[in-house]
Amino acid sequence: MRGHGWKWLLCTPALIVLVLAASGPLLIVAVYSFLSPGNMGGVVWEFSLEAWFRVFFRRDIFEPDQVAWNTAHLQVFWRSIWLSLQTTFICAFLGFPTAWFIATRPRHTRTIWLFLITIPFWTNLLIRTFAIQEMIRNNGTINAVLIWTGVIDSPIQMMFSEFAVLLGMAYVFLPLMVLPLYAAMEKMDFSLVEAGYDLYASRLNVLWHIILPQVKPGFIAGSILVFIPAIGAYVTPRILGGGRTMMLGNLIALQFGQGRNWPLGAALALLMLVMVVGALIFYLRVVGRSDGVRRG
Amino acid sequence: MGCAVAKARFSINRLPGFGLIAVATFVMLYLPIIILVVFSFNAGVSQSHWDGFSLRWYQAAFNNSQVRDVSLRSLWLAVTAASFATILATLAALGTTRVGRFPGQTMIYALINQPLMVPEIVTGIALLIFVAAIKVQTGYTGMGYLVAAHTAFCIPFAYLPIRARLETLDHALEAAAADLYASPIQAFRYITLPLMVPGILAGFMLGFVISLDTVVITEFVKSAGQDTLPTYMLGQLRRAVTPEMNAIATLFLALSLMIVTAFFFITRTRGR
Amino acid sequence: MSQEIEITGLNKSFGQGAAAFHALSAIDLTIATGEFFTLLGPSGCGKTTLLRIIAGFEEPSTGALRINGKEVTGLGPDKRPINTVFQSYALFPHMSVAQNIGFGLKMLRKPKSEIKATVAEMLQLVRMEAMADRLPSEISGGQQQRVALARALAPRPRVLLLDEPLSALDLKLRKEMQSELKRLQTETGITFVFVTHDQEEALTMSDRIAVMSAGEILQLGPPQEIYNAPVNRFVADFIGDTNFLSLRVKAIKAGEAVLELPGGKQASARLPASISPSVGSRVTAVIRPEQAEPTPAGQGEMQAIVESATFFGTDTHLHLLLDDAQGFVLRRQNRPDQPSPAPGTNLGLTFAPGALRVLED
Ligand SMILES: Nc1ncnc2c1ncn2[C@@H]1O[C@H](COP(=O)(O)OP(=O)(O)OP(=O)(O)O)[C@@H](O)[C@H]1O
Ligand SMILES: [Mg+2]
Repeated sequence: MRGHGWKWLLCTPALIVLVLAASGPLLIVAVYSFLSPGNMGGVVWEFSLEAWFRVFFRRDIFEPDQVAWNTAHLQVFWRSIWLSLQTTFICAFLGFPTAWFIATRPRHTRTIWLFLITIPFWTNLLIRTFAIQEMIRNNGTINAVLIWTGVIDSPIQMMFSEFAVLLGMAYVFLPLMVLPLYAAMEKMDFSLVEAGYDLYASRLNVLWHIILPQVKPGFIAGSILVFIPAIGAYVTPRILGGGRTMMLGNLIALQFGQGRNWPLGAALALLMLVMVVGALIFYLRVVGRSDGVRRG
Repeated sequence: MGCAVAKARFSINRLPGFGLIAVATFVMLYLPIIILVVFSFNAGVSQSHWDGFSLRWYQAAFNNSQVRDVSLRSLWLAVTAASFATILATLAALGTTRVGRFPGQTMIYALINQPLMVPEIVTGIALLIFVAAIKVQTGYTGMGYLVAAHTAFCIPFAYLPIRARLETLDHALEAAAADLYASPIQAFRYITLPLMVPGILAGFMLGFVISLDTVVITEFVKSAGQDTLPTYMLGQLRRAVTPEMNAIATLFLALSLMIVTAFFFITRTRGR
Repeated sequence: MSQEIEITGLNKSFGQGAAAFHALSAIDLTIATGEFFTLLGPSGCGKTTLLRIIAGFEEPSTGALRINGKEVTGLGPDKRPINTVFQSYALFPHMSVAQNIGFGLKMLRKPKSEIKATVAEMLQLVRMEAMADRLPSEISGGQQQRVALARALAPRPRVLLLDEPLSALDLKLRKEMQSELKRLQTETGITFVFVTHDQEEALTMSDRIAVMSAGEILQLGPPQEIYNAPVNRFVADFIGDTNFLSLRVKAIKAGEAVLELPGGKQASARLPASISPSVGSRVTAVIRPEQAEPTPAGQGEMQAIVESATFFGTDTHLHLLLDDAQGFVLRRQNRPDQPSPAPGTNLGLTFAPGALRVLED
């Protein structure tokens, strides 16, 4: 019982698969980002910082010494971050009342509401994106209803825009905000709310001074859970955004498709990883601190 | 008494507007899916104009040999990957749960949970690079790559419920078994393992659903002719789609729903 | 009587070096076959640890442990003819009552027919025949306790270890189970090692009691001896209620000390061998509350004034103040013809020779 060897032994099979098919390849990505691109995709084994350079900068085709910001890339980065932040905000705005609604249901119906929010969470993201596409297509449900009621004559173009991507992401990631918020509210001490009213606080005061501080960890967890997959989004912007409203995920994929620049794709992927890890570290810091405050 | 009644009617937990937003959210969440399902039964070609009820798109889907192929491949892959992932996750859970702290534990957790944290697209292109290199070296182009990738991706999902179940197991039960003359292997066989079964089942189901849903990783790892249902759909969505797609999506949804419901009940009925 | 369990020079510490915690030190103990033996002591004194060592869940740091004359150190719990009734019962939640009871026999590879017969017999013994097919979650706490007992008894162990098996039960059920346990022990003749921190439970059920504190056995003996002749202040205080008096030694002769009582009278008390106070110093002496009797004021050994009275149903506790301002509690049987004295009443106190004892601190 004293040795730890058997514990490692039990973990080894899983670790082998994980290292081979998840962690190990990430290291190869890191290596590839410092190589030169091959003509038909792939890499040439020559050390080069060109990929990292091209993540941010651009050379003039005819005068390679002319260096300028790679505005196309910067635009994609900015769009990724901005859309992800907006998505997080929308999810929080809709998710908080929803979680509150579920948490304040009587015990037996609460399970049903919770179940209803869990189902989309486990149904295919592709199908849910498809469902949104069906709604906002030019000859989709929304346009059909609007034309039928005579509000408009010709369909409104909603697909292939940042709006479409935002809508789609908010739609698919919403349960990720509701679930941790609900978990925080379930743990909340509702007698504090009563105490607040007892001490003459208005509803707004109770919400701000009593409820929000208690569900803050759930808020932060939910925001991170939405923000991270939003930054890494690929399927939703691909279907709803098209070529003009690319996000970082699509830019990465492009380098392995038509772009045929694997090192650049690898460098971009690492950049995405840095953003995600940054968000995670921020999360751990903030949550760690708020926990510390409560303990101290 | 009168005071308490007045308080209950005032309903301290209600915040103005919250109920409205919540209900609207549920409607927005379900409306697109419901419309998608409804139009899978449309007699016409349109996905926004109702032409009467028919099962023709389901018939079309069943008769579409490509759809049959990718569906069977998806199911086979999900069962295979979820099985492997469940076995590996069960072993890992036994090695990391209820055993006290040991050196390297944090690293094991990090490795197990890594697929949850790294964006799928990053894992996807990483695997693309890795698999391309192996293909060049070995010439092997079979389903092995997809199985390995899906297994790795499913491990953290399978691990979660198994670990959760194991954590609720009282050490005293195994001690009692040992006290009643069970060898360590017998104690595992008769006590620990049967009590882990709900967790293992839940882990398998989660793994199955996750594998079935995975599109990005599959898209980058698959070789020619290895489309799964999600990658097939992704490819089709770029073209003009007919309600046949709605029919396929509806069947897919029904399958997920069944599994999630079963999962819900398994994880909720504790004790047995 | 043969010796079932022999423990010699047993020590147990958790952790190493400076951080080591000594849970048990220098335990010497023999338990006879068929004995109802009780480990009694406050929380954290090492009762469970000692039990776990006997069962084989824990190895002693040093010392020897023999069961039925055989050294068992290094033997796992599945290799010892000992069964445990766990504090939490630890019933297997996925097995029926009958399967739980039959588990030990199954592990011992007993034939099916024998298992069936024994399970039936055990069910009858603990009066649970009607519940054989229920799951543990479907029976009450007291019934679970009985199943745990039956499960531990089914393989007919030489020794049964019981770790506070009654602590989770309410008072009425607890009293019921106490007599049931005693009955089972007498019927089966199995050696019981029973852990409790309830002194009354220990006194009523045991053949012998070991009083423990901080990993040591302070006193070992039959209940009467523990109660009437506690070896030190801790034991006297832990078992029953006691009046502690600080008294001056007037003279010492032949193992007896002549003590000056409050109010000036003198009384003699046996001195334990372990202490030899000098004349003129103060010692601690004890008198049990029920071993003193009130007398009319001015008579008896000591004089006191009633401060307050607490009614306990069968008896009343009179809180008295002695002449030198030391407190004293007197327990008096309630009788309708003798109302208890009102606060402020003066009365005298008398006690039988031997009721006053000098104790080690
Ligand atoms: N595995 C362990 N590691 C470190 N210390 C331990 C361990 N097990 C027990 N101890 C310590 O040994 C001491 C005795 O514990 P034990 O469980 O024997 O007490 P107990 O007499 O049974 O108390 P209780 O009446 O509360 O059950 C306690 O101080 C406890 O903290
Ligand atoms: Mg204990």
